[in-house]
Amino acid sequence: MTSTFSFAKSGTPARAQVLLVDDDEVNLLLTALALRDRGFDIFEAASGERALEMLVGWTPDLVLLDALMPGLDGFSTCRALRRVVGLQNLPVLMLTGLDDDASINRAFSAGATEFFVKTTQWSLLAWRMQYMLRAARNLAELERSKSKLARAQDLARMGSFDWRRGQGMAVSAEALRVFGLGPKDHATMRTLLRMLPLDDRRSLLRLLRERLRSSSGVDTDAPIVLLDGKRRILHVEAEPEYNEHGHSIGYTGIVQDVTDRREDEYRIRHLANFDTLTGLPNRHQVIWRAQRALEQARRLGHQFALLLIDLDRFKDVNDAYGHSAGDELLMEVGRRLRACVRHSDQVMDGALETAGPRSHRSLEAVGRLGGDEFVALLPEVAADEDAERVAQRVLDVMREPIIVDGQECFVTASVGVALYPRDGTTVVDLLRNSDVAMYSVKNQGRNNSAVYGPHLAGRGREKLELESALHKAIERNELVLHYQPVIDVRVGRMLGVEALMRWQRDGKLVPPGDFIPLAEETGLIVPLSEWALREAARQAKVWQQAFGFAESIAVNLPSRMFERSDLVENIHDYVTQAGVPHRVIKLEITERTLMKDLQQVIPSLHRLNEIGIEISIDDFGTDYSSLAYLTMLPISELKIDRSFVKDLGITPQSAAVVNAIIALARALGLRVVAEGVETLRQMDSLHKLGCNVMQGFLFSKALPADELQRWLENTLLPRKAPWLGPAVEAEHAALPNSDANGGSRQVS
Amino acid sequence: MTDRQPPQPPPGPLQPPVPPQTLDAAALARLRELDPDGRHGVLQRVLTAYEISLVRMHAQVAAQLDAPDAEVLKSVTHTLKSSSAAVGALSLAQCCSELERGLREGTVVDLRAEVRRLLAETETAQSAVEAMLHP
Repeated sequence: MTSTFSFAKSGTPARAQVLLVDDDEVNLLLTALALRDRGFDIFEAASGERALEMLVGWTPDLVLLDALMPGLDGFSTCRALRRVVGLQNLPVLMLTGLDDDASINRAFSAGATEFFVKTTQWSLLAWRMQYMLRAARNLAELERSKSKLARAQDLARMGSFDWRRGQGMAVSAEALRVFGLGPKDHATMRTLLRMLPLDDRRSLLRLLRERLRSSSGVDTDAPIVLLDGKRRILHVEAEPEYNEHGHSIGYTGIVQDVTDRREDEYRIRHLANFDTLTGLPNRHQVIWRAQRALEQARRLGHQFALLLIDLDRFKDVNDAYGHSAGDELLMEVGRRLRACVRHSDQVMDGALETAGPRSHRSLEAVGRLGGDEFVALLPEVAADEDAERVAQRVLDVMREPIIVDGQECFVTASVGVALYPRDGTTVVDLLRNSDVAMYSVKNQGRNNSAVYGPHLAGRGREKLELESALHKAIERNELVLHYQPVIDVRVGRMLGVEALMRWQRDGKLVPPGDFIPLAEETGLIVPLSEWALREAARQAKVWQQAFGFAESIAVNLPSRMFERSDLVENIHDYVTQAGVPHRVIKLEITERTLMKDLQQVIPSLHRLNEIGIEISIDDFGTDYSSLAYLTMLPISELKIDRSFVKDLGITPQSAAVVNAIIALARALGLRVVAEGVETLRQMDSLHKLGCNVMQGFLFSKALPADELQRWLENTLLPRKAPWLGPAVEAEHAALPNSDANGGSRQVS
Repeated sequence: MTDRQPPQPPPGPLQPPVPPQTLDAAALARLRELDPDGRHGVLQRVLTAYEISLVRMHAQVAAQLDAPDAEVLKSVTHTLKSSSAAVGALSLAQCCSELERGLREGTVVDLRAEVRRLLAETETAQSAVEAMLHP
C-alpha cells in the first residue's frame, strides 16, 4: 500500500483516501459530500469499470462499493480488485440494500471486508468506515510485525509449530526452513522425527510421550540429519495448550537451529576441560570426575582408584630433543595411556545422568595433570590388584620405543596408586597419596608402580621440589658464598678463607646440609661447584681491589668434579678471567673423594699443583686414608675434622688423634688446620699440641663477602677479639719481628 | 453539523396515486445540512442530478410498458429507491422499494400495473423537483 494513511509526525492519522463507487449520480454526489464533510478524501467512480481503472497504480485506504450497479456490479468489481496484486487486504465496504441478505452473502464471498446498508445517515457510515480503517491499520501493523517476526525467526533460524491431538502438526514456513524444507513442503510429525538418528528418535519419543502424559512443557535439543546429509542440532521448546475445559489439546512451540551455538559451547567446554596437547581430560576435568567417582563410591560403598603416572626422566627428552619433540612424546604417551583404561571422552560438567547404577563407569579416564604427569581414574575397583593390573598395563605400553624426531626414544613411568577410601577420603588426599606412592617408586629406581602406604608418607615430593628449585637457583642468582676466616692464632692473622655455599631460597637461607647432599645425588653439584669456583675467583678480585686481599679462598671440590676432564682448564679460565693469580684458589677435597678413584684424581691434582693451586684434605681423620698414597700426593694441607676438635680437653683420645695428625703432617711437610674451633680452651689445646692455624665460631662464623671486610677492619685489625689474648701475646714475645698485619696490608 | 438525525417520517401507507406536491422536509433539511450556508449549492446540484436521473429512468420505465423486463426494472427501482429517499421523494422511494422487493421475491401479480404506478410516481417526483428547482 503505497499511499495508505500513514502516521504523520505528530502521530495523528492523515485524511484517509476513499474510493467511492456508485452508478447513481445522486448517491455518488450526496455520499461524497457527506463523507468529505466528515474528514475523508473522496475519489468518485460512477461504475465498477471506472473504479478498476483508477485502482491501477493507486491504492486508496478504503473502497466504498455499491453492490448493485449496471455493467460491472459491486461483487464483480470486488472480485476483480482482489485479484490485483497489493489489493488483497484493501478494506472494501460493500453498500447493500436494507433487507438484501443475498447481497450480503455475495458481498463476503466476493471478498468484501464488510457490508453496510445504504443509508442517508452519513454519520453511521462514517463511523463504520473509521472502524474499518482502524482495523485495517491494526491488520497492517500485525502483518508488519508478523513479517518482522518471520524475519527475526529467520535470522535466529527459528520457526514455530503447532501440534494438535488428532490433527497433527502445523509447521510455519520459518520452521520448515529450519528443517531444511521449502515453504510448500508438507511436514508431519512422522517425517520430522524421521530426520533424527534412530537412538535419538527413540529417546525423543520417550521424552515426548512422558511430557504429553504429564502435560508438561518440552525443552530439549535434538540432533537431526537434513535431507542433504548435513547434521544440525535443533532446540525444541513447546508448551501445552488447553481448551476452555482445561483439557490439553496439544502443544505450541518453537524449533531453533542451535548447531553453531552448541558447537561453540562444546568448544568452550572442551577447552575448559581438556588438555589441548593430548586431548585428554585436563586437571580440572580429572578432579571433577574424581569428585563424582568419590561421591558414587561413597554412596554405593565401593572402592575407586587413582593412579598417578609420572614419566621418568622426561626432562632429558626435552633437553636432548627440544620441546616440540617432548610434546610429540607426550601425545604418544597420552594415546597409549588412553588404551589402558575404558577411556571416556565425554565432557562432563553437569550432574551424572541417572542412567543406571553403573553410570560412574563413564567417569573412567586417563587425564593429564600437567607436564609429564598423568592420572588414571578407575571409578570402581574391588581390590589393589585391579589398580595394579592397570598400573602394570601402563608400564607395559611404555616398553615400546616412541619415535620422536625420527629417533627411537625409550621412556618409562613411575606409577603411584591410591584407593578410596583406604588411602584417602577426599580427592586431594588421594592425589597427594598417589603422589607419595609414585615418588617412592622414583626413589627406588623408577619404572615401577607402588600402592600407597602410610610408611611412604612424607618422602619424595619435597625432595623433588627442592631439586627443581635448586636447578634454577644458579640462574636466579639465589646462591651465595659465605667466607669463614682461617686464622694463624700465633700472630692473629688471617691466612685465608674457606668459601661455604649458601642458598637464599624464597628469602630464607638454606643451610648447605639441606641441599649439598641432594646436589651431589642429582649431579647438580657439578654446576654448583663450577659456579662456586667462578664466584670465589671473582670475589678474590673484588677484595684485592678493596683491601689488597692476597690470601687464598678454599673451595670444596666434590669427587664428581674429578670426572670432568676440563676441571683444570676451567679453574684456569676462572682465575684468568677474574684477573687473580692461581694460588688465590685453594681446593678442599675429602678423604673419601680422594680415595674413591685415586687413579683419576691424582693426575688432576698434579696438574692443579703445576698451575699453582694448592690442595687441602678436608675432614681429615674421619675416613680412612691410605697413608702410603698420602705421601705421594701433591697436597699441602690437612684439615682436622671438627669432631676431634670438639672433644679436645674432654676425651684424651681426641687429643691423641689430633696429636697424631699433627705429627703426620709435620713429617710430610704439610700445614695443619683445625676446623670447628669454638672455645678458647679448644684453641689453647690445639696451640699446645702445635696446631696454630684454625677456623671456627671462636673467630668468626662464615660471613658474607662485604661483612668479612668489616670483620677484618673492626675485629681482627684492632685486635678486639677475646681470643687475641694469651696465645698471640705469647707468640709476640717470642717473635719480635712478626708483622701483625701479615699478608694483608693495612686497610686505610 | 450534528450526528443526531431527525426522526425518519414513517413510510406512507399504500395510497391511491395522489401526487404529493412537495419533497420531504426532513430529507431536504439533511441535504441542507451538508451545505449549511448554501455556498456550494449542494441542494441545487443534488436536485439537478436527481432530475436528470429521473428523466433517464422515466424513459427506461416507459419503454417497459409493453413488455416489462424484470431485470431492467430491478435496476431502475434499486437506483431510484435510494436517491429518491435521499432527496425526500418518499412516495417514489416507497414505490421503488416495494416493487424491487416484489420483483426479487417474485410476488408481483400485475407487472404492467406496477410499471404504470412507477411511471406516475416518477412523474410526481419530477414535478416536485421541478417545483423546487424552478419555483
